[in-house]
Amino acid sequence: MELNLLIGGEAGQGLASFENTLVDILSKLRFRFFATKNYMSRVRGGHNYHMFRISENPVHALSGDGWDIVVALDRESEQRHKPDLKKGGLFISLEMTEELNKQAREKYGRITAANEILSGVVLSAMGCGDGDIARIEGDSLDPVRTGFSLANKWDVADRYPLSTRAGNHYRLDGNQALAIGALLGGCQFMAGYPMTPSTSIMVYFAAAALELTVHFEQAEDEIAALNMALGASYAGLRSMVATSGGGFALMQEAVSLSGMTETPVVIIVGQRPGPSTGLPTRTEQADLNFVLHAGHGEFPRIVFAPGSPAEAVLLARKSFELADRFQIPVFILSDQYFADSQQIIEEPLDTGIIAREYNVYGSDYRRYAITENGVSPVTYPGLGDALVRVDSDEHDESGSITEDLNLRVRMVDKRLAKFRGIRDEAIAPTPMGEADADVFLVCWGSNGPIVKEAVERLGGEGIRVGGLHFGQVFPLTPGMIDRYGLHRRKVVAVENNATGQFASLLKRELDITVSGRILKYDGTCFTVNELCNEMRTYFRKV
Amino acid sequence: MVWVGNREIAWCPGCGNFPIRTALESVLKELPVPPQKIVLTSGIGQAAKMPHYLDTNFFNGLHGRALPLAVGIKIARPDLTVIAVSGDGCNYGEGGNHFIHTIRKNLDLTILTHDNKVYALTKGQSAPTTDRGTMNNLDPQGNENRPFNPLAAAIVMGAPFVARGSAGDPDHLKEVLKEAILFKGTAVVDIFQPCVTFNHINTYQWYKDRVYRLGKPLPDRYEALKTAEIWGERIPIGVIFRDEGVMPRQSDRIIFREPPEDKALGAMLSQQHFK
Repeated sequence: MELNLLIGGEAGQGLASFENTLVDILSKLRFRFFATKNYMSRVRGGHNYHMFRISENPVHALSGDGWDIVVALDRESEQRHKPDLKKGGLFISLEMTEELNKQAREKYGRITAANEILSGVVLSAMGCGDGDIARIEGDSLDPVRTGFSLANKWDVADRYPLSTRAGNHYRLDGNQALAIGALLGGCQFMAGYPMTPSTSIMVYFAAAALELTVHFEQAEDEIAALNMALGASYAGLRSMVATSGGGFALMQEAVSLSGMTETPVVIIVGQRPGPSTGLPTRTEQADLNFVLHAGHGEFPRIVFAPGSPAEAVLLARKSFELADRFQIPVFILSDQYFADSQQIIEEPLDTGIIAREYNVYGSDYRRYAITENGVSPVTYPGLGDALVRVDSDEHDESGSITEDLNLRVRMVDKRLAKFRGIRDEAIAPTPMGEADADVFLVCWGSNGPIVKEAVERLGGEGIRVGGLHFGQVFPLTPGMIDRYGLHRRKVVAVENNATGQFASLLKRELDITVSGRILKYDGTCFTVNELCNEMRTYFRKV
Repeated sequence: MVWVGNREIAWCPGCGNFPIRTALESVLKELPVPPQKIVLTSGIGQAAKMPHYLDTNFFNGLHGRALPLAVGIKIARPDLTVIAVSGDGCNYGEGGNHFIHTIRKNLDLTILTHDNKVYALTKGQSAPTTDRGTMNNLDPQGNENRPFNPLAAAIVMGAPFVARGSAGDPDHLKEVLKEAILFKGTAVVDIFQPCVTFNHINTYQWYKDRVYRLGKPLPDRYEALKTAEIWGERIPIGVIFRDEGVMPRQSDRIIFREPPEDKALGAMLSQQHFK
């Protein structure tokens, strides 16, 4: 049993506060849910909508099967979303919400009580009664009860009874997960220039700086942000930046600087539809090629693309360790859908902060000493007698500018030698569905949980299909996939872009030819239903 | 080829960078901190090669980006003495936005700019500080832009220490540099640097005929601004403005080698943890 809820209205009507109120209550009562939103790039007006899937089972995607409850705070929401109401579903009209607002004002003297009343309606629909809501504290309790009476009046009480709940869990949106992963990875410095959808990573980090020994610096532009992060990293702090496509475009030269000076940094790119300003508040996965090729010249890098908040915590944490170990830039590709989706994590999280070493060297220290694995010993200014001299020009082992062309070749070889170690560390993709199916869906980033549920749903219909979610998208190594025999199977790529960028990468890196591409680039995420329909069509054609 | 000690120097014989290097080298030796605790940041250009010719830590970064590097280093490590040194193209042109915003931060760091009023490494184009009417290969009919006044801009932006030195007066330059580096807060120093190859107007002699040393720094911002705008037959050098009353933004909080405690992070995470 599950309940799918949509609430739509204008920006400024309190949709976001309702989401926060409802997910807070759901979390306190340990219900399983997934919440995401679709909003326009404006402060007031327009048409925004927030979607909730509350279920007895773990849920990490939108089902796409229609809505059990639609709440319309304006006429446009009614026109757009009422047609997707399931048969027998409840439509809460503008007039009904006005009744709700009236009660909030008259009974509680504050309009925000309307969020709690509406949450009460939803809870009652989920089968909650007075006995279930003891964990809700303070001023919210009575408005929730008022919601119960409204649910009775509207005849929706107990219509979607959810009997099982989660145990101990975390509730995170994608950006919180990335920020927490960064803190666990020992990141102590972040610089940034606000840009949707990555701003809330900065907000979280700035809040963390009030409690923890970390620093957030707002930069004058993205160019400064990445240069500041590289300065802090050189000086001895694990550092990161977060941005989106346009801001990342400004960071290009400093990405290359990280590669040349071998200064570790983690760069989070929250994708949104381009080119250029595109659709600033919507979602897409079209910057994979951009990140793969970012920065002039040749230097090693790693690109991660987590699919769930738990994986985001894990991979963000790992990013700092790997950036440091190989002295390289490590990228994390996220997107608006992932950033803005709140969900619960039931698996245990490793919440220990990664410790690091600070080595001390003498006056004969050379920052770019040539080693077999390409990694030179690192230290920081002011530790011991070493001088730490780093240069964006080609340089000798001591960091001095050089135009010795033989040395140039040795330095290129040294930097690229790190790829060997990086490839050995590659993180294998996560398998889904039937391991021996003839057809395999491949995906990366935020599509992971959507594809997983689609594969399971198709399996339930007797359609045998397997799947792989790539949390690491670069480098790709044969060892990551050899057990799946992908060369013998039909591979279908699922991506939120118009050209199938990951499919092309699979061909280039692993010589895997996809037989189908399921692509979506209208600025919204896939739903499970949508993906299943695409696959049923695919199977009819094969 | 020009050598200083065992180092080959990439500057032209007679370049204004040499006396600046000598002055800076002797100041660094006189500072109460060891070279391991000093970091120079620089961008790209002939001036930006300065750190290579001194015995300290350095991060020679990208064109125009010496300042955000310095900001990151200083915030990460308040215990280090941080000096950004680059040319006028780097600090005022490509990095002009950083010049404005780094001053706003008022961290305890020093911004040195070798001002030769020409793009020399690319063989002679107009710089932000090039006078109007100057002709070169990209301005064949004469530069039409008004020159940037870095000292006036710095004063207007609220820099608490603003000074000018000249490679033609190395003893005075050394005193200015020392005062700037020891100053607690953002210190901005523009340094006249004759370019013997591409600037045949602003020569050593041209400066010698015009430059005069200022006495005590002016405590009043608006008087200092007037002084910063003096240009022509008489050009002042020295500390134009010095405001002791502005505390640098830098806190004493040391986070280097002080990672967050698991417990503190755990307390933060508990806000997202539901039992």
